[in-house]
Amino acid sequence: MAGQDLQRREMLRIMATAAAFSKFSGFAKWAFICSHDEAAIERIRPENYQPQFFSPSEYATVERLTELIIPSDTTPGAKEAGVAEFVDFAVSVDTERQYPMRLGIAWLNAHCENLFGKAFLALSQTQQVSVLGPLAYKAKFREGEDDGRKFFAGIKELTVAGFYTTEIGYKEIDNPALKFYAKSPACPHPNDPEHKHLPPPKW
Amino acid sequence: MPKQIYDVIVIGSGAGGGMAIKTLCEAGLKVCCINAGRRLDPAKDFRNHRKPWQMKFRGFGDPATRSESVGFMDNEWVPGVWEREIKYTTAPGTVWTWPRCWAVGGKTNFWGRSSARFGDIDFRAASLDGYDVDWPLTYSEIAPYYSRVERMIGVSSSVQNRPSNPDGEYLPPFNFRCLDHVLQKGAEKIGVPYLHDRIAQLTVDHAGHPACHFCGACTTGCDTGSFFSTPWRFLPLAEATKNLELRTDALAKNILVDENGIASGVAYIDRKTKQEMEVYGRAVIVAATNVETARILLNSKSRHWPTGIANSSGQLGRNLCDHLYGESASGCLPQLLGQPSFPDSVGDNTIVWMPRWQNLKNPHEEKFIRGYSVYPGGGCGEYPWYATQAEGFGSSFKREVKRRYPTPVSFTIQAPTLRMDTNFVDIDPEAKDAYGIPCARIHFQWDENVLKMWEHSKQVCADLIRAAGGVVESTGDSPNLPGWSLHDTGTCRMGHDPTKFVTNAFGQAHDVPNLYACDASVFLNCTDKTTTISIMAFTLRSCEHLIEKFRRGDIKSA
Repeated sequence: MAGQDLQRREMLRIMATAAAFSKFSGFAKWAFICSHDEAAIERIRPENYQPQFFSPSEYATVERLTELIIPSDTTPGAKEAGVAEFVDFAVSVDTERQYPMRLGIAWLNAHCENLFGKAFLALSQTQQVSVLGPLAYKAKFREGEDDGRKFFAGIKELTVAGFYTTEIGYKEIDNPALKFYAKSPACPHPNDPEHKHLPPPKW
Repeated sequence: MPKQIYDVIVIGSGAGGGMAIKTLCEAGLKVCCINAGRRLDPAKDFRNHRKPWQMKFRGFGDPATRSESVGFMDNEWVPGVWEREIKYTTAPGTVWTWPRCWAVGGKTNFWGRSSARFGDIDFRAASLDGYDVDWPLTYSEIAPYYSRVERMIGVSSSVQNRPSNPDGEYLPPFNFRCLDHVLQKGAEKIGVPYLHDRIAQLTVDHAGHPACHFCGACTTGCDTGSFFSTPWRFLPLAEATKNLELRTDALAKNILVDENGIASGVAYIDRKTKQEMEVYGRAVIVAATNVETARILLNSKSRHWPTGIANSSGQLGRNLCDHLYGESASGCLPQLLGQPSFPDSVGDNTIVWMPRWQNLKNPHEEKFIRGYSVYPGGGCGEYPWYATQAEGFGSSFKREVKRRYPTPVSFTIQAPTLRMDTNFVDIDPEAKDAYGIPCARIHFQWDENVLKMWEHSKQVCADLIRAAGGVVESTGDSPNLPGWSLHDTGTCRMGHDPTKFVTNAFGQAHDVPNLYACDASVFLNCTDKTTTISIMAFTLRSCEHLIEKFRRGDIKSA
């Protein structure tokens, strides 16, 4: 079984814990065509997404977190790609993620109350970033925040899965799978086999 | 009404069965192929150009059926083609993952396409290192069949002048990607080969099929037939002769025998009606895959064959070998950081390989005997799985994901186990499948030799990444589970001595001259190469042997 896509395998591993899926009215920001016709799916897209798992305030927190992880800057981010909808969906079908997610949001709010006397959503962007920094960067890790770090890693994993599986995510990294090729694509620098003299990085 | 008797009954339609039906039908023989699964409809069943956002579960598969998943290939791109109903069992202590595609064409619908020839280093391995026995034929005997298969199916590669992996008749190779040039330099520095793989994927139009369009979705089936599969290539040729009857959802139960113990047909279950049916033929070819072929033959007990048909040697089901697969090392190439994305996945990561380089000059130069090969891969894939490893969040994180996109590399080992007395397939004394047919039971453990190869490969691949100027991020902690490679061999091994081997050098059962095995079950072991093209070459040879018997009148045509 040479050549089976290791990356796809990894992608499946990431999602390998999801459970049952039922009674779902559809996403506001993305659609599927599997065994349905696309037009029909478009028609049932709700104007506003109804969270399947999270409470309205939890969902707002999730939305904010995904937007902080993959922001809209010079290119579209999690917001435009509807990542929060995906996170909610992924958690709703994955019983193993549900309790840690809920606990994590509660931890985050309690943590923010401790530091600033306010819930996460009520903080300024600078404050929100200062809260997440120690959960996200090894050099800034602090004792006693293990639960927070685990929660952040979980929401980041889902945000990544939800973003880079959208057309916006594909365009963000210029995913070559968006195109076909008439000839076997070849390295454009054959005279520099070690690739020591490449043009300066594009990004 | 007199019962219909076909010339040949073929069980299975994968690499072996597909080649058999094409070859026999074109020779004018009347063939009935019984296949355990349904016929695929490429328009409906292949979703290879679909993107994750077009699928309900974004390509991750329906969670409701995840507990029944047969592995990573069992996903939303190819739903409903993996066998779930027919159970198999494992002996205590054995783990065996067995993702079976029993639809028409079998695993050729979604295979890895790597197509190297076996060579004399494989056929004469026992003479070289003293372990086990030689194959009953030499490379020069099988080489012409490889050439014919390569011309039929189209294999892209380059001439490499390595007798350990003989060159064939190739279409132009895939072009090297950036990462290939960089890794090849590293390989050069540590003295290991880094070459074009032999890949049954068209770089130019061939055999009436267009060249690959390099979409990279090969593992979900090809919509243009640009890599070999039975349904795209051999089935239409066989059907055009009007000599083929294909019976689908027909699960072979056992081989029928006449009053002399000679094969006279096959009993099967029609899975739609759940009725047991019989089909009669003057010869039978079993091409059901290594383990399933053993199950069918072991379940074919009669007065003549109390332990299973063609089993007077007692070797039927024994000698199970497998390929150990696993990610030996992975890392990244910082020289590619921030470079524009490149279609690295166009060949779904089978563009290059590192063919066996160990124990070539001297069969005992390493701490293990025989040898393994490695498939390097990486670059810009369908999904940036490395993204969660990038620290932090925000615009800098988003940029880092983009910067790292061309850089990941990984190395997958393909290492053959040695024949062991303790690795075999038998029939579970208790368990039966949904149709009451006794289940195959698998007994298997990795041997010490193959685990030494695994350790060796981790070191070499990590050294290679460093020599190429890359950074090693991990070396494999454990290999994939046994069975995962689908390259298992040996349950009907071929050899000259009828007391020690099930089949002869033509895959013909020693005990039953009108019964042939045409899959990897006849191979003595896995070698460091993949099995598919060899199954086709050996099957072509077996079928011409059988056709000759019809021509000479040894077997009278219907």
